[in-house]
Amino acid sequence: MSNKEKARATITSESIKTIAESLGVSQIPEEATKIIAEDVSFRLKQIVQDAAKFMTHGRRKKLSVSDIDAALRVKNVEPLYGFTAQESIPFRFASGGGRELHFVEEKEIDLQELISTPLQKIPLGVSIKSHWLCIEGVQPAIPENPPPVGKDQQKNEITKNIHNRKPLEEETGGKPNKLGLTGKSLASDVIKLKPVVTHELSVEQQLYYKEITESCVGSSENRRSEALQSLATDPGLYQMLPRFSAFISEGVKVNVVQNNLALLIYLMRMVKAVMDNTSLYLEKYLHELVPAVLTCIVSKQLCQRPEADNHWALRDFGSRLMASICKKFSTTTNNIQSRITKTFDSSLNNPKAPISTLYGAVSGLCETGPEVVRTIVIPKMPSLSERVQMSVEGTMVTSVDKVSAEHLKNLILKHCGPIIKHLRDQPDIVDSYERDYGYLGTSLCEYVTRLRTQPNAQPPPPASTGKPSLSFTTPKQTTIIASSPRTPTSYMPTTPTLLSTTSHHPASIHRTFSLPGSASQTKMLLLSSTPKSTAPTITPPKPMVSPTTPTQNFVKVYNNPHMTPQRPATSKPQFIVMSSTPPTSSQTSPLATSSAATSMLMSLAQAATMQVETKDIKEEPME
Amino acid sequence: MEAPEDTKENILKNGDDTEQQKQMDKNTLAAVLQFLQKNNLKETAALLKKEADVKEKDIQHNEASNNQDVSSVLSAYNNESDPTFYHEHYNNLMQFIEDSLDVQKSELSQMLYPVFVHMYLELVYNDHENQAKHFFDEYSKEQEEYHQEDLTKLSVVTKKDHMTKNELMVCFRTSKYVIRLSRDSYQSLRRYLKDKQNSTVLTILEDHLYVDVFDGMPRNKEQISAKAGGMVGEARRDANKSKVYFGLLKEPDINLQLDDEEESGEGDDKPKKKKPKKDSLSSKKNKPDPNAPPNTRVPLPELKDSDKLARAIALRESLKRIRLAADSLPSICFYSFLNAYDGLISTDISDDSSMMACGFADSCVRVWSVTPKKLRNMKAAKQLDAIDKEAEDVLERIMDERTASEYKTMLGHSGPVYSTCFSPDKSFVLSSSEDGTVRLWSTYTYTNLVCYKGHNYPVWDSCFGPYGHYFASAGADRMARLWATEYHQPLRLFSGHFSDVDSVRFHPNSNYVVTGSSDRTIRLWDVTDGKCVRILTGHKGSILSLAFSPDGHYLASAGTDNKVLLWEMRHGYLLGELKGHTDSVYSVSFSRDGNILASGGADYSVKLWDAQKVFKDSSFDDLAGAQPSVISGTDELLLGSYPTKTTSVHHVHFTRRNLLLAAGPYTATS
Repeated sequence: MSNKEKARATITSESIKTIAESLGVSQIPEEATKIIAEDVSFRLKQIVQDAAKFMTHGRRKKLSVSDIDAALRVKNVEPLYGFTAQESIPFRFASGGGRELHFVEEKEIDLQELISTPLQKIPLGVSIKSHWLCIEGVQPAIPENPPPVGKDQQKNEITKNIHNRKPLEEETGGKPNKLGLTGKSLASDVIKLKPVVTHELSVEQQLYYKEITESCVGSSENRRSEALQSLATDPGLYQMLPRFSAFISEGVKVNVVQNNLALLIYLMRMVKAVMDNTSLYLEKYLHELVPAVLTCIVSKQLCQRPEADNHWALRDFGSRLMASICKKFSTTTNNIQSRITKTFDSSLNNPKAPISTLYGAVSGLCETGPEVVRTIVIPKMPSLSERVQMSVEGTMVTSVDKVSAEHLKNLILKHCGPIIKHLRDQPDIVDSYERDYGYLGTSLCEYVTRLRTQPNAQPPPPASTGKPSLSFTTPKQTTIIASSPRTPTSYMPTTPTLLSTTSHHPASIHRTFSLPGSASQTKMLLLSSTPKSTAPTITPPKPMVSPTTPTQNFVKVYNNPHMTPQRPATSKPQFIVMSSTPPTSSQTSPLATSSAATSMLMSLAQAATMQVETKDIKEEPME
Repeated sequence: MEAPEDTKENILKNGDDTEQQKQMDKNTLAAVLQFLQKNNLKETAALLKKEADVKEKDIQHNEASNNQDVSSVLSAYNNESDPTFYHEHYNNLMQFIEDSLDVQKSELSQMLYPVFVHMYLELVYNDHENQAKHFFDEYSKEQEEYHQEDLTKLSVVTKKDHMTKNELMVCFRTSKYVIRLSRDSYQSLRRYLKDKQNSTVLTILEDHLYVDVFDGMPRNKEQISAKAGGMVGEARRDANKSKVYFGLLKEPDINLQLDDEEESGEGDDKPKKKKPKKDSLSSKKNKPDPNAPPNTRVPLPELKDSDKLARAIALRESLKRIRLAADSLPSICFYSFLNAYDGLISTDISDDSSMMACGFADSCVRVWSVTPKKLRNMKAAKQLDAIDKEAEDVLERIMDERTASEYKTMLGHSGPVYSTCFSPDKSFVLSSSEDGTVRLWSTYTYTNLVCYKGHNYPVWDSCFGPYGHYFASAGADRMARLWATEYHQPLRLFSGHFSDVDSVRFHPNSNYVVTGSSDRTIRLWDVTDGKCVRILTGHKGSILSLAFSPDGHYLASAGTDNKVLLWEMRHGYLLGELKGHTDSVYSVSFSRDGNILASGGADYSVKLWDAQKVFKDSSFDDLAGAQPSVISGTDELLLGSYPTKTTSVHHVHFTRRNLLLAAGPYTATS
């Protein structure tokens, strides 16, 4: 009975002896310490019991020092002044000479320093904020209120079967509370059907969805940051999550083919925003999001002009996103971390992989943590070096290759340098570095030497990126542009023509598709690049875009709920968009292009939405 | 706020109790005698004895109860029997209960806890420390869940010396544990104890327990556990026999009110609306309530013109209120306190819902305006002189526009402020603090007017009466006090609780005060004579919040046991048990029509309960006879639960129009 033991906790006579010694009383008989220990324990317990009263009345859950003071004052004892720990007092443990001690660490305070430092900021004053907790019995889904459907509940909905779900539905069924969604009264005779409520959006939700997606990929940076902010903070998004997930996933598929770097960046920022939202249970949609992010990291080409555009930033950003996905969602059952690592590893092993893919793979691996760098990246160093060397010194190299190699080299230096510093012992000899790491050995040696000479300050890294995970771990929900200079937004200036690239690109083609099944004959506008550039875009590690012919665009939606980036063939692909029309090229203004892209994404997302619904209906007989 | 001159005298006269007086005299005499004896003034003592005709026995008796020496008080625990018997006897008792008839089993098992405690104390008293520990460890697990808190406290006592200062000890020492048994059960218990020669238990039964025997069917487990939990057992049956006038006072002068109503049309925008009375429906005023006390039972201050005006405004407001029921739930407006850093303790909202007073751990009291209208101080005396007192807008003119601000801070206390309360006309704020004082503040000047010193220990709660003038306070000295604002001495002391009095509220007719305590009982006190007229047991934790229904018939209480209990006042019966909160409940409040009960607490949620359903199911006709069954179905009674983001709910309050206001500090989670 641990509880009983707690109740019986006492001060030991050893403690009394130690305390006595610290007060200068050295010879104290055993008998006396025992009596004192018992009495002290009793009195302490009494005081703590009294102090608990003050805690209850102070409406706190944690006993504070002031409670003890108050209890002492009630007992007419002078309180112990000077203990003002806000948090629980941090006891330290020490042992030695056969004794064990717990003590409070008191640091010496340098008064001079205390005086010279500027005053701390005054804590903010108390203020009142009012909001509607409930309107005529219905709790509105506003940021001030907790999410209407908690994460646990969202999880339950997935993991539990329909029978367990029933009472849950009934509970919320009577009180419609989702953004004005009117309550669906479930007739009792349709119990066996999986309720479709979760996938039906109210008009407001549809409007919201439209607004958000348009803003996220639109041209106005202000609106975008507002939309992302909303995605990252609003508690009531859970019902729209499947749509957003599909939007992102489809958007990436299409835009990778288009090499539309800007849109890919926007989509990744959406991923980040959705991940930042604490009210969402994302596990359900990882199978869509992870491949999308992965694509943005390792895809061979992400932009129209590889030599000029900063697609490296997108890869870095994606890598950090992936690292935080791993950190957040990896469990022993889904093994995301190891599966992702394997995917990256296989790209590294592929001798034909282009430098940009290598860069993505290395960056993805490095963000996952130093352990991964040590076990996977550093052993690959010779082969990496070879690739870099080939691209720099080999014949028939293009300027693109050179730039890429330079980027890869800097990335490796930045991430592997600190690890190697710890791995290798002091004298850094260039020869031995070259023997171990090949071509890059020289630069690595130089870098490590510099690291050693400046132990505290990180030497200016060759690339402009800073510490890896910083932009993700900040819990503060601020607008992304303003706060994190490491998000791809900061690279915008380097690619000022991002949106206009498509306009003067000769290969941008607009195609109109129509959904074969839909009665409304929705027209879809698709952007596509020339056959020449499309075909090689499909690289082996890329998870989901299957080789497309220049004239046809397939969009596959997989049914498998788990993420299977490497084995797409196992699931039955369903084709939504199939028709192809002869390419008609036209010149459009940048604005028109972007809005065209938006509408395309919208319609794609709609198609995906339909898909989700059909999927649900198909599952019904099974349950 | 001017009361008749003789208010205090009246009360004192009413409260005169000759018997009490005699007892007091005797006590005083005995004390004097004791003093004389101590100082060896034998002759004087003998003379005094002779003169006052005091019997030796009285003094002895008095000494025993007054003496702080453990030995004399606890000598009852002196027992020479072998410590090993205790195990055996307790086991035997358990065995007997196990073997008894099923109908009696749950009744008899009430015995186990008090017998266990007293056996343990006997062991401790007779210096069998190890046996006591062993005994405790073995049997403490067997006790009911709701006794565990007390047992933790008891486990601290392991030595004879410890017994003097333990709170629980005092309780068990000064009073007998009350157990209610049916006659059958009691007789079988007696028979068993006699047959088996279970002397230890028998002695305990005779010395320390009070068995309240009743005729009729033994009670079942639910009935017993609903009433169990008190620190000293259940209430005796005779404790709840006296008549309680729980009706509302007759409303005076309807005609005048109607006149006022027209008048108030112009005065609508005056800054200080006053309202000394909870609203009541006009239909009720016509026929006097048979349960109502005479209007003169407790002297109340006469209504001033401004009070009448305010009452008319309140009445008009109440006509606009929404009728609440299970199918028409109120809206809740939540006031979150940001950056309060664990500092916010108490909150109160004025009756007209325009101001909020908050007590903080850093000793200050802050008053906020929750309407767009800012708070202003009154002008200085010199400037006030210049104002034309006959002017229509004189109330507006006396305020100093330059002092307008969102909130006002009032400093004066020297310890955490555990309660704040507005007077019904919101011209005063009352606050009570850890420093043992209750302070009265003015909302015209935002300064301290009076400091009431009486409690020497922290004052946990304070509350204004429904008609103003009177207020009550309760504190760690185990007493509640009744005060009038104009006297610095308390008018009444309500003493009888065995532990801290945590909460206090006035009955809507101002004739009664209800207190909730850490001894897990609720007591209703008569203001006129200071007597305890109801003892309600059933809570399993400290009672932190109390609320009367607007008609005064019912009481809601809640506390650290996460439950809200509904009581009826005529007989003191428990009607409903509302389970659903997962942490302490800090505040309960009835809607203005009494149909819905709102509760909020540390589990970050506001819950609405169907109080009307509980009351309807146990209508008064049924109550004539036996104790009604307790309604406790969460599903049908819980109308709604509204979680907040990590904001504990410190106060819930219905506006006159039945909008629910709730307030609490937001705690940031890292």
